[in-house]
Amino acid sequence: MTSSSHEVSVGARLPDWVMADVRAERMRVTSAIHRDPNPVHWDPRSTRSRGLDGRVINQGPLNASYLVNMVMAWRGPTCLRGLHVEFDGRICDGDHVTARGVVTAIDPMTHVATCEVWLERLDGSRPVVGTARVDLSG
Amino acid sequence: MAWVNAGIEHLVGHQFPGGVRAIAHWENYLLTEATGRELLPDDLAHPIHLFHVPIDGVGVTIAELFELFEADGPDQVGLQAYEWEWFEPLRESLDYHCSGGVVEVERRVEHDGNDRPYDHVVFRIELTVDGSIVARATTTWHLWRSPVTRR
Repeated sequence: MTSSSHEVSVGARLPDWVMADVRAERMRVTSAIHRDPNPVHWDPRSTRSRGLDGRVINQGPLNASYLVNMVMAWRGPTCLRGLHVEFDGRICDGDHVTARGVVTAIDPMTHVATCEVWLERLDGSRPVVGTARVDLSG
Repeated sequence: MAWVNAGIEHLVGHQFPGGVRAIAHWENYLLTEATGRELLPDDLAHPIHLFHVPIDGVGVTIAELFELFEADGPDQVGLQAYEWEWFEPLRESLDYHCSGGVVEVERRVEHDGNDRPYDHVVFRIELTVDGSIVARATTTWHLWRSPVTRR
């Protein structure tokens, strides 16, 4: 259920969206769909030199998708207008990450909210940070 | 120390072939499931299709992009940022006309003690239907360059 735009205010927190178990099999499906040849997403041998001990690295689009899922769970499946994400760390299979966000501005003319969004590990670090533009009028 | 690859700044302005691409139900189902949520209603496609559909739609593969940007290997490409814009929701089975190209290339150096160079590359692709823009994807990669001595 979503609330109307006037019920959202700057500083409001978006409901958390949790990916409790990043899975290698989901990365393999994604690599196949993307036709992505980078073995760090599907071959554990390729990441041993990075000290990952047989773990593989989640694709950037999958990391971003957790933020998208958080926004859609908040305001519905057609609310997202823009997403800018930057990557400052890797997320691997077995990781637990939480998508979080906070409203930083609302355009009163367009009813589009600007939200700071990020993925957070259990230790509080943020390997993915960004900004989402969310239509509140729906 | 000498470094391989003198630079790829000449790629600024390079246009991809372009083409038409629809999102199939099977890929929407599988990719949405991979994101950890259930399929969206009403033939809506998960917004995350805005990564691979534009690339595929303009007629290139990720491997071909690595080749175009003269990557030293798949693991020498670092994802830096996405800028995704949706003017309309993505949907299954619609024919999206895809066009775009390379908009920025800059040789930079990582100041981490090794002074390793990389190419900051930005490419942008638009999806349109009947001439109206539906979505735009801007992707920033870093192409790490290896020293000659390591080859």
